[in-house]
Amino acid sequence: MRPFAYERAHDAAGALAASAEAPGARYLAGGTNLVDLMKLGVEQPARLVDVSRLAMDTIEELPDGGLRIGANVRNSDLAVSASVRERYPLLSQALLSGASGQLRNRATVAGNLLQRTRCSYFQDVSKPCNKRAPGSGCPAREGDHRNLAILGHSPSCVATHPSTWPWRWWRSAARCTSSARAARARSRSEGCTGCRAPSPSATPCSGRATSSPRSS
Amino acid sequence: MSSEHTAHLQPTVLRINGAEHELVLDTRATLLDVLRERLDLTGAKKGCDHGQCGACTVLLDGRRANACLLLAVTLDGLDVVTIEGLAGDDAPHPLQEAFVEHDAFQCGYCTPGQICSAAGVLDEARAEGVALDDDEIRERMSGNLCRCGAYVNIVAAIAGVAR
Repeated sequence: MRPFAYERAHDAAGALAASAEAPGARYLAGGTNLVDLMKLGVEQPARLVDVSRLAMDTIEELPDGGLRIGANVRNSDLAVSASVRERYPLLSQALLSGASGQLRNRATVAGNLLQRTRCSYFQDVSKPCNKRAPGSGCPAREGDHRNLAILGHSPSCVATHPSTWPWRWWRSAARCTSSARAARARSRSEGCTGCRAPSPSATPCSGRATSSPRSS
Repeated sequence: MSSEHTAHLQPTVLRINGAEHELVLDTRATLLDVLRERLDLTGAKKGCDHGQCGACTVLLDGRRANACLLLAVTLDGLDVVTIEGLAGDDAPHPLQEAFVEHDAFQCGYCTPGQICSAAGVLDEARAEGVALDDDEIRERMSGNLCRCGAYVNIVAAIAGVAR
């Protein structure tokens, strides 16, 4: 793992400022994906901005019947929330079908939306990957792609987004916080069902290799 | 030491099994590595080091977590319990006794993680009001792998404490 500076944010403004002053900074919440990718060398942030203690961990019922879910709500807590279990049981089941109890206890809602694909080529820095290094190629198209996209992929990338529950969530009436909404926009581009490559025959998909901070 | 290097070192107070440890930590150090390499607490094991096998499971503020994916500098002020701190001073934890009674291990490498995870499961089920039948135990313990295949007796041990 490459050396990095660490800063704990005490409020949202401080988190934004801490990431803005360090190019290549990443937000750290649960760390279940980001720390793993740092061990693999896929992520090499110069600075981690720890947002895990920000008070964005509540689930609110809205007057119109929706839910507002804080970015830092843990997957475990969302899954067993009484309002989610009663009104969105599919969401609860989807959450509980992902990862393990240990990981769900740490994983956050926003971080889950922001997690990167589990495509083995993306996670292996010795291999080409258009998502990680735009233009380098996509070995998954001809290689190990058993769990990758069947529909909606692009000529440059067949990766899928690893979360099960956000897809259900997007089709439910649940609402999300503005930060989670931003996460959702990013997450949509992670899965190649939402690939924004210019056209099916155009250049390798490069939209996902951004320099903006990502949460874990 | 250059400032470039000191930026990657952080003074941190870790509270492990009730004892506070004042440490200067490399920001890259995981809790698992600090436990094993700095504090001589070798109960939590390094299996996959990617959060998949559960051998490193500890309790963080009472909830089970994979120590291999926790950066130690982030844990300042939080309460960590490892297998070494699970029992009281006088007697083993009921889960430890149950694992012995039910022969719930062979090589024992995964056992500290299994027991810490099971302790978390018992608390979670209690808080949620869920009865732990065998299927529920299997599902909730699915983040702890045992390459010896002692699963049948692991379930029996946990069930014996849960009921």
